[in-house]
Amino acid sequence: MIDTAQSTDLDLQVDRRGFLKGCTMIAAALGISEAMIPKLVEAATSAQRPPVIWLHFQECTGCTESLLRASHPDIGRLILEIISLDYHETVMAAAGHQAEKSLHDTLDKYAGKFLCVVEGAIPTKDKGIYCKIAGRTAVDILAEVAPKAAAIIAIGSCASYGGIQAAAPNPTGAKGVKDLVSGTPVINIPGCPPNPISFLGTVLHYLTFNRLPVTDNLGRPLFAYGRKIHDHCERRAHFDEGRFAEQFGDFGHRNGYCLYKVGCKGPGTFSNCPSARFNDVDVWPVSAGHGCVGCTEPNFWDTMTPFYERLPNVQIPGTGGITDVDSAGKKILGFAAAAVGVHAAIGIGKKIIKGCDCKDDKKGGTNS
Amino acid sequence: MIYEKHYVWSILLRLYHWSLVSSIVALAITGFYINSPWTLTTLEGTGLYPMLTMRNIHGLAAYLFTAAILARLFLLLFGNRHERILDLLPVTPRNIRNMSTTLCSYSYLHDCHDEERLGHNVMAGIIYVLTIIVALFQMASGFYLRLPESVFWQKWGVTLFGTQQHARFEHHLLMWYFIIFAFIHIYLVIWNDLKHPDGITSSIFTGNKFRPRSIK
Repeated sequence: MIDTAQSTDLDLQVDRRGFLKGCTMIAAALGISEAMIPKLVEAATSAQRPPVIWLHFQECTGCTESLLRASHPDIGRLILEIISLDYHETVMAAAGHQAEKSLHDTLDKYAGKFLCVVEGAIPTKDKGIYCKIAGRTAVDILAEVAPKAAAIIAIGSCASYGGIQAAAPNPTGAKGVKDLVSGTPVINIPGCPPNPISFLGTVLHYLTFNRLPVTDNLGRPLFAYGRKIHDHCERRAHFDEGRFAEQFGDFGHRNGYCLYKVGCKGPGTFSNCPSARFNDVDVWPVSAGHGCVGCTEPNFWDTMTPFYERLPNVQIPGTGGITDVDSAGKKILGFAAAAVGVHAAIGIGKKIIKGCDCKDDKKGGTNS
Repeated sequence: MIYEKHYVWSILLRLYHWSLVSSIVALAITGFYINSPWTLTTLEGTGLYPMLTMRNIHGLAAYLFTAAILARLFLLLFGNRHERILDLLPVTPRNIRNMSTTLCSYSYLHDCHDEERLGHNVMAGIIYVLTIIVALFQMASGFYLRLPESVFWQKWGVTLFGTQQHARFEHHLLMWYFIIFAFIHIYLVIWNDLKHPDGITSSIFTGNKFRPRSIK
C-alpha cells in the first residue's frame, strides 16, 4: 500500500483505509469487478481464518522473503487476520517438537479444510534423502500433508516445476508438487521469487470464492500469468521501432531502449511483472535495465540460459561442443555444400575419364 | 529419339511450389531479422517500425506458407497420380525399384535412368513427405508463438514443444532444415536436368515433362 511506503518494513499498524486499498489492488490484479471488493474484504476479515500449513523443502526461502515485503496486505495482517499460519518454519514462534506438534494438530483437526503452501522442490532420488525435516523426507511429509489439504499452492518456481534443483543434470531428482500430488487441486505461483501480489491474490480468491482461480496449461493462475511480459512491457515501443541496447552501458541501454538483443526473455515469459511490479516502489528487472530471465517458466535454468543470448545453445552430437543455433546451422549448410561439391566433382571427373557418360546426350540432336 | 510432352504437374501443385518458395525466402529473411535485428534505429518519433514491419511480413508469409502446405496435403490425397502420396513413398514394387535406380544413379554407379517415370523419383518423394511433416511442426510452433494467449494453441504448443522459449528454439532450428533443403533441392534439380532430357526444371513452370515416345 502506498500508505506504508514511508514507514518501517514490518508495520502492523495498517489502518482500515489502507487495508481496503490493499483489497482493491488485489481485486484489480485478479481482474474481478469492483462490486466484488466488499466480498473480498469480508472474506479477508472473516472470523473463520483458514489454517495454512507452509512446507519448506529444497529452497532458499526467497519466496518467503519476498512475501515478508508484501504490503497489500502486509505479512502481519496476513498471518494475524486473514489466515491462520499454523506451521511455517521461518516465521513461526514454535520450534522443534512444538512445531511438529502444531503441524500434526492442524492435520488432525482441519483435515480437508486447511490450505497447504509448498515452497521448494521435492527431491525424489535415493528415496528422497536429500531433504529431511524432523527426520522425515520431503516426499514423506508431502505424501502425508497433501491428501488432507483442501488445496495446495506451490509458491515459487522450485515448488512449481523443480526450479534450480531440477536444472540439468538434476542430481537429487527434484520435482515440482504437481508431479507428485494427485487428487488435491494444485496451483502454481512460479517466479524466482514470485510477486507476493500473485500469491496473496490467489489466497484471497480462494477465501472469497472457495475455489482456486482459473489456470493456464502449466497450472498458473491466468490473472497473473495470462499474458507475456513482452506484450505488457514499457519498452515494447522501442522493440517495435527497432531501438535496441546492443550491450549493457551503451547508448541504447542508457536511453532505455529494448533489452531484446542483450537476451531479455520477456517474449517467452508469462507474468504480470510489468503491471504488478515489485516492492511497492514500482520497479521490476526490465525497468532497472536488466532483461527478463524468464523465471516463471518451467525449467528456466535450462531453457532460458544463456541469460544474455536470445536462444539456447545447441550441443553438437558426438563432440560435446556447444554452439549457438545459427553457427550450428551454418556448419551443417557448409557440410552440405562440401558434399554437393564432392558429388559434382565426381560427376565431372567421371565424365572426363570416360568421355560422355550419357547415352541420351549422344542422341541429343534428335530430341524433339 | 523422339520425345513426347506429358502434362504432369497441375496448376495447384505449381502454385503450391512457388508459394512455398516465396514464403520460405520471406520467412527466412524476416525470421533472421526478428531473431537478431541488424538495424539500429536511434531517431525517435520517426515511426519507421522496422521490427513491426518485419513481423507483419513474417506473419503474412506464414499464412501463405500455411496455405501452400494445406494445398500440398490436399494434393497428396486427391491430386493426380504423380502428386499422390502413394507415388512418393517406397510402398509399391515400382517405387521400390525406382528407389534403387535413383540411389544407383545419384552415386554414379550406373547410368540407368527410370525413363518411364514422370513424377518425383522416390528419394525425392521421401524427402518431400518429410518436408511436409517438418512444415507442419514449423506451422504449429509458429502459431503457438504468434498466438500465445489462444487456449487452443497453448494446449497444443505446451504438448508439442513445451514453453514459448522451447518453441522459439525449435522454430529457429527447423528454419535451418528449410535452408539446407532448398540448397540441396536446387543442386539436385540442376544435376538431374544436366543428366536427363526430361525437362525437370521447366516442368515446375509449365507442368510438362518429356519422355521418349517408345515408352507407353
